[in-house]
Amino acid sequence: MNEFLLAAAGFVLVTVALGLIRILRGPGDADRILAAQLLGTGGVAAMLLLGVATGLPGVTDLALLLALLAAFAAVAFVAGSGRGAAGGATPGVAEGGTGGEEPE
Amino acid sequence: MSLTLDLFTVAAVSLGAVFFLAGTLGLLRFPDTLSRLHALTKADNLGLGLVVLGLLPQVASPLGWIGLIAVWLLALLSGATAGQLLAGAVRPPEWARLTAPGPGKDTADD
Amino acid sequence: MSLPLSRMARGVGFFGFWLLLAGPGVLDVAAGTPSGGPVAWAAELVLGLLASLAATWASLRLLPPAPGRVRFTTLARLAARFLWQSILAGVDVALRAFDPRLPLNPGYLAYPLRIRADTDRALFGAYTSLMPGTLPVGSDTNGALVYHCLDLEKPIAAGLAGDEALWRRVRMGGLGDE
Repeated sequence: MNEFLLAAAGFVLVTVALGLIRILRGPGDADRILAAQLLGTGGVAAMLLLGVATGLPGVTDLALLLALLAAFAAVAFVAGSGRGAAGGATPGVAEGGTGGEEPE
Repeated sequence: MSLTLDLFTVAAVSLGAVFFLAGTLGLLRFPDTLSRLHALTKADNLGLGLVVLGLLPQVASPLGWIGLIAVWLLALLSGATAGQLLAGAVRPPEWARLTAPGPGKDTADD
Repeated sequence: MSLPLSRMARGVGFFGFWLLLAGPGVLDVAAGTPSGGPVAWAAELVLGLLASLAATWASLRLLPPAPGRVRFTTLARLAARFLWQSILAGVDVALRAFDPRLPLNPGYLAYPLRIRADTDRALFGAYTSLMPGTLPVGSDTNGALVYHCLDLEKPIAAGLAGDEALWRRVRMGGLGDE
């Protein structure tokens, strides 16, 4: 079983690492931060798998920390990009307001 | 019994890995940033959820279960929040115009 | 639940979470098998209390207790719906990502969300960002929540209306409605 869990951890890591191609391609900074987010979630999954496979309890704490850091990275990126959160209206941008109902 | 649980683990973790692969593929293949964000948040959270589900039978202590589920819930919460924040930050400047009259939409311009 | 009580519940919740993270070490000591001596154990507990006090303070500042009551039976229904719909969302996006033809029909949809309270809008947005094919990108000047959708052909507005209806029944009052 442990061999399987280790292999699965390796697979997930390689998969999310492939996502890093997006960092090379871009085009925008936002696309690059997406790849970092993917690495965050995938890293958490890989660590949980490793933790159970190796029986080291501390690894779960590391996974928790990584999940936290990935969230901070996203918030820092958004704060740095100078745009507000989705919750707030942005006057001056939204001139074409709609009361739209979407067709079924 | 142990074999059944092991098979469950193998199935759930493998399925979870497939969703991570889907997240990567979506990130690489989808045409625009916001679509890629869809792939990321939805596929990854499901992948992580399945991995956690698959690991539960391999952990003996209830404290370990709670820890695993806590990690998943935290990742879920931060993924949903970060996804929403990133979407707000990366929307194209003309996003409001993009919601304006389209085929079959009943809209009111002022 | 009265407001001071809900504040205390938060503090207790944070301390419980800290105990959980501190792990078996602290709990074993509580059960009578001190590993680092009673002084170290007490020091850990004081640290945990301070940490949960700080967390409670930050949480009450950033997310003040909202007015209105929460109906927990409906909340359970909402959680079940969330679980099922987020599975469908993951499957939906995975099928699109694996499909060689890449079937996407992305676009924007303004959903006239009637919930006005900021926190509830943000929570609703976070919830719907994990629903199939929807991702909130912001509010327009009319107060509608604008979604980026993976496939505009899908009955998205109907799904969102269902979510909102359930949400309103969970949060009785305090939504700052129009």
